[in-house]
Amino acid sequence: MKATAVRVRRALAMRSGDGLLRGAVWVLLALVLATLVGQLTGAGGRPDAIVGPRLQPPGSGWLLGTDNLGRSLLPRLLQGIGTTLLLSTLAVACTAVISTALGVVAGYRGGRTAELILRIGDVLYSFPAIVLAVLVAAVLGPGRTTALAAIVLVTVPLMTRMVGVAARAVARREFVTAARISGVSAPTIMLRHILPNVAGTVAVQGTYALSVGILVEGGLSFLGYGVQLPDASLGLLIQEGGLYMVGAPWLIVAPGVVLVAAIMAINLVGDSLRDRFEPRETRSLV
Amino acid sequence: MDHIRWLLGRVATAALTMFGVSVLIFAAVRAMPGSYTELVLGPLATQAEKASAAARFGLDRPVVEQYWHWLSNAATGDFGTSLVTRAPVAAEFGDRLPVTVTLTALALALTVLIGIPLGVYTGTRDSGGRGGVLGRLVSAFGMSLPEFALGSLVVFLFTRYRLGLTVGNYVPWSQDPLGSIGSLFLPACVLAVFCVAATARTTRDAVLGVLVEPHIAAAVARGEPKGFIVRHHVLRNASVPVLTLVATLSAYLLGGAVIVERLFNVPGLGSYVVDGLDRRDYAVIQAGVLLAAVVFIAANLLVDLVSGLIDPRISVLAKGAGS
Repeated sequence: MKATAVRVRRALAMRSGDGLLRGAVWVLLALVLATLVGQLTGAGGRPDAIVGPRLQPPGSGWLLGTDNLGRSLLPRLLQGIGTTLLLSTLAVACTAVISTALGVVAGYRGGRTAELILRIGDVLYSFPAIVLAVLVAAVLGPGRTTALAAIVLVTVPLMTRMVGVAARAVARREFVTAARISGVSAPTIMLRHILPNVAGTVAVQGTYALSVGILVEGGLSFLGYGVQLPDASLGLLIQEGGLYMVGAPWLIVAPGVVLVAAIMAINLVGDSLRDRFEPRETRSLV
Repeated sequence: MDHIRWLLGRVATAALTMFGVSVLIFAAVRAMPGSYTELVLGPLATQAEKASAAARFGLDRPVVEQYWHWLSNAATGDFGTSLVTRAPVAAEFGDRLPVTVTLTALALALTVLIGIPLGVYTGTRDSGGRGGVLGRLVSAFGMSLPEFALGSLVVFLFTRYRLGLTVGNYVPWSQDPLGSIGSLFLPACVLAVFCVAATARTTRDAVLGVLVEPHIAAAVARGEPKGFIVRHHVLRNASVPVLTLVATLSAYLLGGAVIVERLFNVPGLGSYVVDGLDRRDYAVIQAGVLLAAVVFIAANLLVDLVSGLIDPRISVLAKGAGS
């Protein structure tokens, strides 16, 4: 118990150059908190309520301005952040489960199984992300399910490959051979010995997949295939804001800033996780 | 000999991937809601009319036969006719190809000219100091700007204020070569932001990876000057991952620059395919998505072949690892 606590504290301990990580974590926490507070208490008003004249700049009744229908932007933005984060997180959770399972099996079994899994991944990986996403939309029809499926299909191949590589390295180590010789069954080896040792890779790749997921959701919604009106997502809000950009730039600035901040924070967290789980010796030439 | 065998293996894998891609595209288009004959004839067509149209388009044949017909025609450059314009799809792609190639070339030039030097510079400097943190921050920022957000911003700035370049007036290459490049410059810059950031980051990682190798320490001990070490020992060893990334990026620019092409009204390949999806223009979708995937696979194959030449260890190790 105590050992675990120490380990957790050590994992969370910020090293000197890691003000960036701290900032990133705060940004993400703030976004999640703002969404939760907005959804639970109704602070900022109802997203579909018409509160004032159309296309008003930020003012007292509408903190972030009003849109083309006279709705306040703030509650819609909160709703949009919630949709985007929830959708991407859910999709990446699916990706993580699928990729980890496939990657661990491919890495441990090797041979034909690995070949089959990797080749199928190659096929999916050959499509440009947004083209694959739009293709999914054409088959399933626009909507949340489409965005979810598209994110999973775009992120699974790379993550499977990375987990597979990590699992292969672990599978070659002595303790795995020892377990096999002593008659431990294959599922147990994969679950008990391989999985914990690739957890770091899963965390790093999952974090990067989350930022890709947000990008894909944004792009799809921006093109009109993702989340549909009257629902809101960050991509949809930016697309809407783009229509009134010249007269009402605040409609695009607020969701744009939030989107960039979210993606950047996630990327920075991913970088820190990578430095921690895949440490490298560095040397400068000076 | 080993090298040749390795090359053949790579080509076989690429062909297999290509086959999988074509099957997936064909299946996806067949799985789309709404039937082709209804789309062509309209909702009021009788059953007999539909049947005769299906026969005319070969839709009454077995699926495998349809697939083979499509693939063998595509292999000879015949991608069918567009439902919307009634023109051969291959000709439409031919019209758009120069635009996309110019746009890709511009964005790639920016990427290579800025991204690689930036990566080498930050990679060879002390990474723990203030410069390293700043470098991380800038590259993370560049990689976090979605092209639809950045593109919208650029369109706004250049339409609202007079900044010298206009947005959305694409000038064909045949009319005015210089004006054509000028009209593609802004979209190329928007595309390049992510590419530059990603390239700088990959280059930096690759350079850092090489710097810890013993032969660099040996070169430093021999007293070779720093610039010489970077040019002669570091760059070639660090080039493989960078090359792979640049190939991936160029394939993505050739087929996936959908959003930027739409925002800036550039008649390129990516937006044409997505327009095709909007209009259920099956021949265009099949051809466009197939082309994008083929470009990606070909670019990766090319990089693998070149990497084998740059770093002979790759082909030898691949054989030894057996995977």
